Amino acid sequence: MTGRPLVDVANVSRTFGRGPSAVVAVHGVTCVLDRGDLIALTGPSGSGKSTLLHLIAGLDLPTTGTVTWPGIGTRAELRPGPVAVVFQAPSLLPPLDVIENVALPLVLQGLGRRFAREAADDALIRLGLGELRHKLPEELSGGQAQRVAAARVLAGRPQLILADEPTGQLDHVNGTLVIDALLDAARHLGAAMIVNTHDRTIADRFPVQWSMTSGRLVHCAVASC
Amino acid sequence: MLRSRHPRSIRLATTWLPALVRRRTGNIVATVCGVALAVALLASLGSFLSASKATMTRRAIDTVAVDWQVQAQPGADVAAVTAQVAAARHTAASEPVQFGATTGFRSSTGGSTRTTGPGEVVGISDTYRATFPAQLRNLIGSSTGVLLFQQTAANLAVAPGDSIVVERSGLPPATVTVDGIVDIPQADSLFQVVGAPSGAQPQAPPDNVLIVPTSVWHGLFDQLDPSHADQIHDQVHVRLDRHLSGDPSAAYTTVTGQARNLEATLAGTGLVGDNIGAALSAARSDALYAQVLFLFLGTPGAVLAGLLTAAVAASARDRRRRDQALLRTRGATVRQLVGLSVAEAVLVGAAGAALGLALAQVVGHLAFGTGRFGATTASAIGWSAAAALVGVAIGVVSIAVPAGRDARALNVVAARRTVGRAGDPRWMRFGLDIVLLAVALIIFWLTSRNGYQLVLAVEGVPGISVSYWAFAGPALLWLGAGLLAYRLTNLLLSRGRTLLALGLRPLTGGMADTIAASMHRQRRLIARGVAIVALTVGFAASTAVFNATYQQQAEVDAVLSNGADVTVTTSPGASLSPTSDTAARIAATPGVQHVEPLQHRFAYVGADLQDLYGVRTSTVVAAGRLQNAYFQGGTATQLIATLAARPDSLLVSAETVHDFQLLPGDAVTLRLQDSGTKRYVDVPFHYVGVAKEFPTAPHDSFLLANADYITQMTGSDAVGAFLVDTGSDTSAVAAALRTQLGTTATVADIGTTRAIVGSSLTAVDLDGLTKVELGFALALAAAATGLTLWLGLVERRRTLGIAAALGANRRQLAGFVWAEAGAVTVLGLVLGGIGAWALANMLAKVLIGVFDPPPDALAVPWPYLATVLAVAVAASALAAASATRSARATGAESLRTP
Repeated sequence: MTGRPLVDVANVSRTFGRGPSAVVAVHGVTCVLDRGDLIALTGPSGSGKSTLLHLIAGLDLPTTGTVTWPGIGTRAELRPGPVAVVFQAPSLLPPLDVIENVALPLVLQGLGRRFAREAADDALIRLGLGELRHKLPEELSGGQAQRVAAARVLAGRPQLILADEPTGQLDHVNGTLVIDALLDAARHLGAAMIVNTHDRTIADRFPVQWSMTSGRLVHCAVASC
Repeated sequence: MLRSRHPRSIRLATTWLPALVRRRTGNIVATVCGVALAVALLASLGSFLSASKATMTRRAIDTVAVDWQVQAQPGADVAAVTAQVAAARHTAASEPVQFGATTGFRSSTGGSTRTTGPGEVVGISDTYRATFPAQLRNLIGSSTGVLLFQQTAANLAVAPGDSIVVERSGLPPATVTVDGIVDIPQADSLFQVVGAPSGAQPQAPPDNVLIVPTSVWHGLFDQLDPSHADQIHDQVHVRLDRHLSGDPSAAYTTVTGQARNLEATLAGTGLVGDNIGAALSAARSDALYAQVLFLFLGTPGAVLAGLLTAAVAASARDRRRRDQALLRTRGATVRQLVGLSVAEAVLVGAAGAALGLALAQVVGHLAFGTGRFGATTASAIGWSAAAALVGVAIGVVSIAVPAGRDARALNVVAARRTVGRAGDPRWMRFGLDIVLLAVALIIFWLTSRNGYQLVLAVEGVPGISVSYWAFAGPALLWLGAGLLAYRLTNLLLSRGRTLLALGLRPLTGGMADTIAASMHRQRRLIARGVAIVALTVGFAASTAVFNATYQQQAEVDAVLSNGADVTVTTSPGASLSPTSDTAARIAATPGVQHVEPLQHRFAYVGADLQDLYGVRTSTVVAAGRLQNAYFQGGTATQLIATLAARPDSLLVSAETVHDFQLLPGDAVTLRLQDSGTKRYVDVPFHYVGVAKEFPTAPHDSFLLANADYITQMTGSDAVGAFLVDTGSDTSAVAAALRTQLGTTATVADIGTTRAIVGSSLTAVDLDGLTKVELGFALALAAAATGLTLWLGLVERRRTLGIAAALGANRRQLAGFVWAEAGAVTVLGLVLGGIGAWALANMLAKVLIGVFDPPPDALAVPWPYLATVLAVAVAASALAAASATRSARATGAESLRTP
């Protein structure tokens, strides 16, 4: 441990479009993420949660302000490896089966095929998904697909997990299973994790809760759990 | 409240379609372009048919010197017949012509007397030559007065100013003075037996002909004893108004009807020799051959454009399924879903048809000089309507049918599936590709048994037919090869996954297994792409090879007719040596690269007088551009080498071999004129082989021998013609030679001959068709590779976006894209190339009838094929690069939309 924060977000804004039709999705956000932080990010639709997550993930660039990753490295070094992203929509590659999908981040890192498959298999078994390893994504239910996405996160052994409404398309039971899987993965890896969610029940399971309104990070609270 | 369902469906469609056009512009535009391509190709070929049929009709008519020869029947009142013919509705001009038989001509020049066999004396009026300018061609001397046919002049060794004696049955010989020497280009029709079936016509026109003014003819034959009345007859030659349809068949029907109408008017006093009808009858066959070419070369292109459209539409099938799933969750019925897909199909089909017809107008004007899609108004409307219908049909089959099937068969979950573990297509399980290839070979074999006779024009039968059955051979081979390409690709990607990964490793490193797995699961998409590329390459390459071979043979035909780029024919009676001043002047003319002297004599084979050509054995093969197809029993080089090795060798036409029952090695004695004594002397030869064709020689019978031997045996090295090789600027060289040689020789250039070569299909100018087809083939090649690949990748941009969001770098993303693009392009080009080779060979065999003479080997247009290759590879590369860039740019964004 170096003691440096994983992510340092300093007065970041992100504007889409120009002129009168410009939309300020994120407005002057400042925050810091450390190793092991488990954060639920809540807020109404259009409040800028996903945009903030994409900025932290390095998938997008701020219009003003800076996002740095002192505990990880440069933006180019974020993925594949240290930062993993789980999306609301199914994010498995349709032509690859479950185990190939889970192994993909490791393959993208240049690790050997056998090692990648063993790590993927371990992750699937850990999350109770071993029997799905040879299924194609289209043969999975929505909940199964998101749990496989969680297994993919686990297999990649990231330092930071960013989940953008991972239960948005799932019922409560499946949503709970997915959050269980993600929390299990984060705790197992000692990784920091931010989960965007509308679901109060899910947010309450995180020790830290942030809230966004109109692009501003207006409230940071530490949960009692 | 009762509400109609239709307004709701219409509202749904009017809301849905504009949104679809706005949101999926790329796919809609690409599908419209695919339909437009098919429609434009079909309609352009309609223009080709229209233009080529009109050209055939015009050329057929232009070759006719006299439209009708109406022969007064024995006992008829000739003046009455002449008046009736002149007054007939379609007669533009008419001239009475008299024919009288002679037992021979005689001349006495240079102390020797020459006598010919029987001949004809033709009487014409002063205005005849102005009314029928193509009937006689002036060679030397006056164009009026007493005119002697050139061959007769050569036989009698007379020139203008000399006198000849005309022998007549029952009358004393009469003497006339020759004013000019003429050629009779259409002697066959002039001396036809009017009313006799074609099989009963004389095999050759008379060699001895004298043309005299009507008054002279009457002076020669009016005193003929009535017992010899059969020695003379009268004709009325007619020029029609020629307001005929552009379609040879329609024009033929018109003129034959007019001829029958005149015969009915004449009530048995006259019979019509319908020369223009005969020419149009031949053109009818050529028109059908043009139709055959359309079917062979055009239909596959339209089918291909349809397949491409289907592939483009299929690339949006997943999107359409997802849309259907969404609409269904919001309460849309199956009927409404089907209605929406039909509306999309009709919109795309109609827009494509309109665009295609407009494109065809432009193409027709540029390539064929006509925007009409048919030879007649009815056929133009028919073509336009058919092409537009095909466009709408392609839209419906490509979009509405699969969408309708999906709407009925799939549930919401299944509709969202994109890859699936579906088994092989049903046709693969039934081995349809193998069946098609086998049937193609069987049909080819059956067609070969009747000598590839596609167009059957039976003599004496008004109707002609086309063996459309023969088309099935190449068509099934093409389709079978396309399906086989699908099967082989599918096999490689399903069974050869490990092999594929090994092959990809040097290019994609550690991603090889993942990419191979991805390609394995998407093998049906990739195999479909390979099949389309293979079909396109097969079409483009085989069409190009066929067209190049056709052009090559048309050029060979023109060379065969003209002799060389420029041919200088010496005047009858002239005796030019290869070393004469004239020869030197020809050689010194700017632009002349080589001059080949060719001896031309007349030799008696038994009682037959035949053309004998004396060749310089060391240079004639190259200079005369002799093809192996001209000879039988050896190549051109081998048989000409025989003439060199044994100087008394003789190559004989097949007809002569048959007539005289010759066997190789047989001694043949020809009677040739000795230059010193002017008497015919016996010259011994040995028959060594068959010459079927030779530059400048007549088609039926001629002889070929060693020029040195003929010189030695006759004492004369006189040249009959000089074959001049000019390289590029033929017409300029011909003009220079005409100026230089004046009336001492006839100069013919290949450009003029090419335009005149009349009745065979080589008269059809395929330049325009070739440009259109090869242009479309290039567009199809680009679309088959680039467009379908790009659309497929765009539809899968979410997959690539996920990979990008997971951290795939540019090289890794490129690995996914380029591996697929490479497989489709390389496999498609290789398998298509093999198919094209087989198809081009089969096409050349099946269409052997359009080649005159048949080709020694196929002509391969390498520059064009290289262009196709370059376009296909460039289009693939562009599509792959664009898809990679798009995936990187929209990686995360694409994940926000389901």
